[in-house]
Amino acid sequence: MMAPEGGPKLLRANGVGKRFGSIEALRPTNFSVEAGEVRGLVGSNGAGKSTLIKVLTGAYRPTTGEILLNNEVMQLGDPHTMLRQGIACIYQHSSLVSSLSVLDNIFLGRQPITRFGLVDSRRQQLEAESLIAEYRIEVDPSAKVGLLSTVKQKEVEILKALALRARLIFMDEPTAWLSHSEVQKLHRTIMDLKTKNVGIVYVSHVLDEVFRVCDSVSIMRDGAIVWEGAIADIDRPKLVNIMVGEKLGRASLEAGAQVRRPRGTGEIRLSCRALGRKNVFYDVSFDLYAGEILCITGLVGAKRSDVVHSIFGSAPLDEGYIEMSGRKIRFRSPKEAISNGFGLVPEDRRRDGLLSAHSISDNLVLVVLEKVSRFGVLDRAARRRLAARQMDSLAIVPRNPSAVVSGLSGGNQQKVLIGKWLEAAPSVLVLDEPTVGIDVGAKAEIYAKLRAIRDAGQAVLIISSDLEEVMTISDRIAIMVNGRLEAIHDAGAANREKILAEIGGD
Amino acid sequence: MLRRFPGFALLCLFVVLFALFSVFSRRFLSAANIEDILSGYSFMAILAIGQAFPIIARGVDLSVGSNVGLGAMVLFDLNMIFGLPGYAAIPMAIAVCALAGTLNGLLVTLLKLQPFVATLATLAAYRGGVYAISGRQLYPELATQSIRDPWIRSLDAYVDVGRWIGLARLVKLPSLPLSFIVLVVVAFAAQTVLSRTRFGLDLKTVGGNPEAAHLAGISVNRVQVAAYTLSGLCAGLVAVVLVARFTTATEATGTGMELPTIAAAVIGGASLQGGVGNALGPILGAFLLGITLVGLTLIGVSQFTQQILTGLILLGAVWYDRATWDRQQAAAARNG
Repeated sequence: MMAPEGGPKLLRANGVGKRFGSIEALRPTNFSVEAGEVRGLVGSNGAGKSTLIKVLTGAYRPTTGEILLNNEVMQLGDPHTMLRQGIACIYQHSSLVSSLSVLDNIFLGRQPITRFGLVDSRRQQLEAESLIAEYRIEVDPSAKVGLLSTVKQKEVEILKALALRARLIFMDEPTAWLSHSEVQKLHRTIMDLKTKNVGIVYVSHVLDEVFRVCDSVSIMRDGAIVWEGAIADIDRPKLVNIMVGEKLGRASLEAGAQVRRPRGTGEIRLSCRALGRKNVFYDVSFDLYAGEILCITGLVGAKRSDVVHSIFGSAPLDEGYIEMSGRKIRFRSPKEAISNGFGLVPEDRRRDGLLSAHSISDNLVLVVLEKVSRFGVLDRAARRRLAARQMDSLAIVPRNPSAVVSGLSGGNQQKVLIGKWLEAAPSVLVLDEPTVGIDVGAKAEIYAKLRAIRDAGQAVLIISSDLEEVMTISDRIAIMVNGRLEAIHDAGAANREKILAEIGGD
Repeated sequence: MLRRFPGFALLCLFVVLFALFSVFSRRFLSAANIEDILSGYSFMAILAIGQAFPIIARGVDLSVGSNVGLGAMVLFDLNMIFGLPGYAAIPMAIAVCALAGTLNGLLVTLLKLQPFVATLATLAAYRGGVYAISGRQLYPELATQSIRDPWIRSLDAYVDVGRWIGLARLVKLPSLPLSFIVLVVVAFAAQTVLSRTRFGLDLKTVGGNPEAAHLAGISVNRVQVAAYTLSGLCAGLVAVVLVARFTTATEATGTGMELPTIAAAVIGGASLQGGVGNALGPILGAFLLGITLVGLTLIGVSQFTQQILTGLILLGAVWYDRATWDRQQAAAARNG
């Protein structure tokens, strides 16, 4: 599988390192990929994966080291050169322009031009059509990208890389927002590319995927590659241990083997009957018990988030009624929901959940301001105590309450977001995709925390598309398909294949 | 084809308003009035096209009015004080305005200032510059003289379309002011740049998703500087047109033009959210403002009411832009 040392390499980085001021984000590291190899790149949030990728694609200029493509030294820190040399990257956060057409996006920044300096749209059209046919990707080149679904947008990003005739494609968390069948489709495309001798670097927190598609794997930790080898030479427990250390590794492996508590204490906390919103979801009924974790799963687009936003008062609710601890309620605004003991950790932390430019402690006290104020004035000491308590209980790194949130890794941002709501101690806590894009170590910590609040008698409702997560954390599993709640199972009685079949994943 | 034109709804509105005013005021449809609107708002349309570039790049240029004043005063000074003939003074004045635009771009990119703040500052600074270099202040006798340079004066010409196509004997068609011809040329060039060149697409990319632009190897800073420079260039053209028309420049030339040009560009489909826009919409936007204000004057609405109305139209356009954007976000979310 792996070429012998010193053999022919498509890309080789010698001792590349990157410093930001006093912080060494990437320690001098060697990294190489062969043509036709699928290389997995795994590591915790903040381990340096993104930095390494950005150095290799030219988005960052490394502070030390050199990069060779087919034994030729490349100019560093210039994305344009790397693109021209056939190094493409599909970033985790969309790098498409939603106001432009699919065609314009595919050729972004490198449109072919005619003799008169005008963009050659005919040539673009022909090239795009042949690619679409070759890789059997169904998309209308003249459609505006902003109007496409997330899945289609990912496909456009892949087309964009293919149109470059890329020799090496980096994929940073390519499946984070994809449904199961879409993931399989992506993996088929990867196999296609492999036979065409394209090298691929596959970054993912979903270890199942890494073991499924990768030939080899590089494990990063604390800004350096700490293990490298063929995928056949390593198993999951060993990989997790190298990645996050013995203690967290054990926690992660044990997370699935915990006691299930379907229907918790037996007290119905939240009861929803025949909820509906016109053209979005219909006839959604379920009970959420105190002391249990109920997961609602389904494909992207099954309207799970819409249901909770309607309950929370941040979106309209047209039909049905809701009872909270036996009392009939209908929230007209999130403020009303919060004051009635309802908490919602939204899906997109960068957009909906955090004040990114503010400090960790500012964010942590946001929903409990009255707890840390006296006569309407913020009590600094109380705020500091509260922030310190949450930072310890969630192991937020760095342990500095005045650190700005936008500078934290994804996992730590998510912990801040969850910590903010834990402090409010809501009697019903709803989390929408709580661990997208964060590593197994941070996941295990978050799961442990959620179990703790469940055991303390709070009711927890989780929306998740990640089946691994659903199987790990839930006490009961609800399944939504196309705006309808189809079934609710006790987690102990369900298995992965059954759930997959019910949500329509295959 | 017509349906795909982004300003289709705008065109309909334009026709409706035009018809309404024609019914309510008999003078509205006269050739003389149409000439007035064309010469009175062609320059606004040119500025609106210029304004569209920074707006597409997710910025805005508040300094256009002051920049017009600066260009006009430079042209006045070069001709009246230094005696430079028009063929030399005109390009130099236009170059000064383009450079002032470049400076805006540098403030936004190199100093990373908010476009609104950066160009608000230069709005004040350029206007101060106009007073500082005003030939009318330095040599008071110039205040009463008008420019006699044949090159400059020849720009205030009209093209009689009626005679040109041989229909003068049958109907009285409006004569086209030269500023309208300039507008047509600018519009054609700008539309080609925006829709058919790599720079145009780069501009929309920078405005639509700056991060994606950087990763695609587009020099975000260079594109932004170019956008402000083009806005400055348009201000320069307008300065020349205005000096030719009034045969002088005052310290107040161009004052208050920034809001109507922003309104016209936004009405014309340049989105303040960035990444969207074309060159034809702002023209329609400018003349829509034009016929509304002129039409209201003709049916007897006061100047003050018209100013209030300009403000309301700007508010309405920005609200409409925002609502359209929200609707599209919602549509995208519905698709999954």
